[in-house]
Amino acid sequence: MTNILVCDDDKEIVDAIEIYLNQEGYHIYKAYDGEQAIQVLKEQNIHLLIIDIMMPKLDGIHATLKIREYSSIPIIFLSAKSEDTDKILGLNIGADDYVTKPFNPLELVARVKSNLRRYTQLGNLNVENNALFTAGGLCINDETKEVTVDGENVKLTPIEYNILLLLVKNQGKVFSINQIYESIWNEEAIGADNTVAVHIRHIREKIEINPKEPRYLKVVWGVGYKIEKQ
Amino acid sequence: MENEEAKKHQKKPGTGINTFLHVLQQAVIFIAAILAVMVLCGSYVVIESGNGTQLYNIRNEEADTKFEDSKLFNKLLGNSITDVVRYGAIRGQMETDGEFDGKKVIDTTAFAGRYNSLQSEYITARYYLDDLINWSKNGFTYEDVYMTGEEADQFLSRFNLVTTVDLDSDSYSGSAKYLNSDLDSAVVIKDVSGNLFDTGAYQREDENVTVLRNRYRTVDGKNIEDHVAIFDEYYKLCANIKQTADDLALNYNEYLKYQELYQPGQSNVVYFIRKTVGDDVLVYTNLDTKAKNLTVLKQELLDSCMRSVYYDPVNMTYETDTQIEESTLRYVMNGFDYAYPENTQVMVGIRSDLSYAQDGFNKARNEFNKYVPFLGQYLVCAVVCIIIYLLLLALLTVREGVAGRKESGEVIIRLHREDRIPTEIMIAAAGMIVFLVYMLISRVINTAWQSMGNNAMIAFGAVFVLAVSLLFSFFYYSFVRRIKAGTLWRDSLIRRFGKWVLKWIRYAYRHWDLVLRVWVPFGIFVLFHMVMLLVISAGSLYSVPRFLIAMLILIVVDIQIGILIYRSARARQTILEGIRKISEGDTEYKVNEKGMQGDNLVMARAVNSIGDSVKNAVETSMKDERLKADLITNVSHDIKTPLTSIINYVDLIKRQNVQDPQIREYIQVLDAKSQRLKQLTDDLVEASKISSGNIVLQWEKINLVELLHQTIGEFSEKFGEKRLYPVFNSPADNVCILADSRRIWRVMENLFNNIYKYALEGTRVYIDLELRQDAENHEKWVVLAVKNISAKPLKVNPNELTERFIRGDESRTTEGSGLGLSIAKNLVEIQKGVLEIVMDGDLFKVNLYFPLLEEQIN
Repeated sequence: MTNILVCDDDKEIVDAIEIYLNQEGYHIYKAYDGEQAIQVLKEQNIHLLIIDIMMPKLDGIHATLKIREYSSIPIIFLSAKSEDTDKILGLNIGADDYVTKPFNPLELVARVKSNLRRYTQLGNLNVENNALFTAGGLCINDETKEVTVDGENVKLTPIEYNILLLLVKNQGKVFSINQIYESIWNEEAIGADNTVAVHIRHIREKIEINPKEPRYLKVVWGVGYKIEKQ
Repeated sequence: MENEEAKKHQKKPGTGINTFLHVLQQAVIFIAAILAVMVLCGSYVVIESGNGTQLYNIRNEEADTKFEDSKLFNKLLGNSITDVVRYGAIRGQMETDGEFDGKKVIDTTAFAGRYNSLQSEYITARYYLDDLINWSKNGFTYEDVYMTGEEADQFLSRFNLVTTVDLDSDSYSGSAKYLNSDLDSAVVIKDVSGNLFDTGAYQREDENVTVLRNRYRTVDGKNIEDHVAIFDEYYKLCANIKQTADDLALNYNEYLKYQELYQPGQSNVVYFIRKTVGDDVLVYTNLDTKAKNLTVLKQELLDSCMRSVYYDPVNMTYETDTQIEESTLRYVMNGFDYAYPENTQVMVGIRSDLSYAQDGFNKARNEFNKYVPFLGQYLVCAVVCIIIYLLLLALLTVREGVAGRKESGEVIIRLHREDRIPTEIMIAAAGMIVFLVYMLISRVINTAWQSMGNNAMIAFGAVFVLAVSLLFSFFYYSFVRRIKAGTLWRDSLIRRFGKWVLKWIRYAYRHWDLVLRVWVPFGIFVLFHMVMLLVISAGSLYSVPRFLIAMLILIVVDIQIGILIYRSARARQTILEGIRKISEGDTEYKVNEKGMQGDNLVMARAVNSIGDSVKNAVETSMKDERLKADLITNVSHDIKTPLTSIINYVDLIKRQNVQDPQIREYIQVLDAKSQRLKQLTDDLVEASKISSGNIVLQWEKINLVELLHQTIGEFSEKFGEKRLYPVFNSPADNVCILADSRRIWRVMENLFNNIYKYALEGTRVYIDLELRQDAENHEKWVVLAVKNISAKPLKVNPNELTERFIRGDESRTTEGSGLGLSIAKNLVEIQKGVLEIVMDGDLFKVNLYFPLLEEQIN
């Protein structure tokens, strides 16, 4: 049984999240402020924490800072603050993910699952394999031509696979459309069109929880594409 | 076009009539001028005759007079009679039996005294006619000689050779025995030696004498001095010879002229002169007189001549059908009484046909007939024309410039272009032209006039009058219009000058402190210098100390003034710099007030306080914007929390598998609207952040071609869904600009979303990249044009579309916050670009302009 603590000062939101996560078979603990959350964490064996930032008594940021002093469980911020600065701040102080309100329940569930998988499985991924390429939760096995995201199998077409492989192999490097085209099709890109862009989009839809805010395959607008180095 | 023309015509009714009247006026004066010049020309005729060219006035001739009854005719006839009488007299001197006789013997003393009665005894010398004429032509040569008594004795004759005329000759019984002018043929002459000069009894004295050189000798082969014994007589005789020779030479010329003019069968004038001298009957005529007696001749004359004069003193008859009176004829003949004895009969007539040109009758008749019958009518016509001209002048004076009437009945005056010329200049021009015309008349025309023929004169006169009239009209009507429009005074230079002066006086009155501050010190300054200069110049050489002191004072004061001026200018420079800095946005800048005085100090303080105010205003507005953005952000947070619940619970209801279709529909609405509310709050926050300048840009090199491929890729599904076909054109593979990657994507996203939402299904979307160079500063720009066809008619102003919350469809039924284009525009602008929306029918076009980032060449 996986225990998830949901902490938000809005009771209805907590209740709604409970309904969604219960359906997935998780056990939910509830808290309505930072202090309560810390209390629950101490008392129960919690595997994942969903926490709001703006809360009475102790806010999400300070609570997370305290929790991080002794715990490394995945923490997902759930906040109405949607600014970049807020997200960066949240992730920097130790949160694993950041979901803005109002959120898509399915996305939240997907993120919860993803974080849990990483938390539970990542430690085991110690197999040394030359054909294995990873970037965060993204894993490509070039021998079996298998792609998994947080352990979940993803089905890609050969071209999509090749593009993804190219990007994962060269993590952090930005590839322009022309460069991708030339290395995948092995042709000179004369007036390359949006073919590559369409493929990338498809890949993103397959491997990302929210394609608009990709975790792995990032778009550097006006420059190219890259897989973030993790 | 036609309408406008029609309007134009409506605008100025009567213009056509006015133009017609103007033309008529000029035509009338032109005709009047022609007539006047014709009257002028026709009022006299120029006739060339034996007496040279002469003018004859025919102004007073009656219009219905025949030429032969006219005064002109009678004058000409009178002239001809005079000529003929003179000619007859000269012929007597020159001819023998009707032919010129050079060997005719001339008694010089008798000839010289032909006007007086002849003495019975006189001293004379007789020469041949042609010798005398030639002598006169060649000239008389005198010598002053000193003669002793003996020499004089030798020179002069011992006797005076005296000629005696036998006055009592009985061989003649008529009234005239002889004529002084031609003695030889009529008089018995005896040479008598008398007055013996006795040398013994009378001693000549030595003296200076004047001697006439003998060019010719007398008929007897003698010299002049051979005829006389004393110098008194010698001189007298010389004088007579000279006078006779000169008179004859003169008459010879006349003779030749008259011979030509009145030769038989070649002249309109017919004459017949018969005189009896002694026993001779002498006839001078250009008629054939062979075997005809006087009566026949007279009849012949009457038949062939239109007019004639017949004078027969022998029979006491004077007949004529002309205005020449007997006394006149007598008077003429008396002038030549030495040639005409009392029995002279004279007949003069003018041939009816006037077929010979040289004596002027022909021309006179032609001119007469041409003018005299019409002269009166011309004159009347000319006067009528002038009256019409004046009437038209009056009429046009009333009509001129009136372009119509306002509804209030006020007359509208339309001014011409020349009416705008200042009045004084116009008057000066008019004066100048009057002067020029006067000069032309007095200097040029007066002299040119005489050398012109009649027709040339008429043409010239008429054109000249027309030109003068046109000029007059030009100025006159201009003044009429000015007076009517009231601009005579308004457009005058005096008024303008007066206004200008008044303005200055008023200005000085209003700003008297300024005037006082500037001009009074300046006046003192000038005065001071004048005084100093006076002192210097007065004492320059004699009182050296005074000169030096004055110079010194002047230099010191001038240096002081110079320093003052420099300081003031420097202070102004500082202030100007401050104003420039502040106007460029440096609101922190302060003008250094140190060392400033008077106005400059006031100005510097004012500039500083303006700077402070601007700074405060900017800060306040910045703060306000930030507050507003914060407020919106906070509010949106507060909205988002309940919104989260709504969305989540709506989703939960959806999962309940509600069967009731109505409830399902309600849920659908709730779902859609809650999603939209979410979008709205997001956009609202972003829009407010951008417009408050509350975002930090991360500048990097952006390849627009890459970006557009990415964007088209991103939207490929959405576009496919609506069957929109993107067509992308680019001039190169790399078109780079400097921008923030995420923000520029946001712009594209908004634009493409807009197309996705509002474009007509199944159409193409054109995305054109283009490079453009600014003509002025050669900056290179990237132009990105995104074009699509709108699904619904565009009813909005392009400018409003980028305002917040404005959408192409006013009903706001479609999804979207209405902030998309506004956000895009603001984002483009903070990235130093320009967003422009163009709508043309259903074509919706967004143009983006960015400065091109030139690629570095490696």
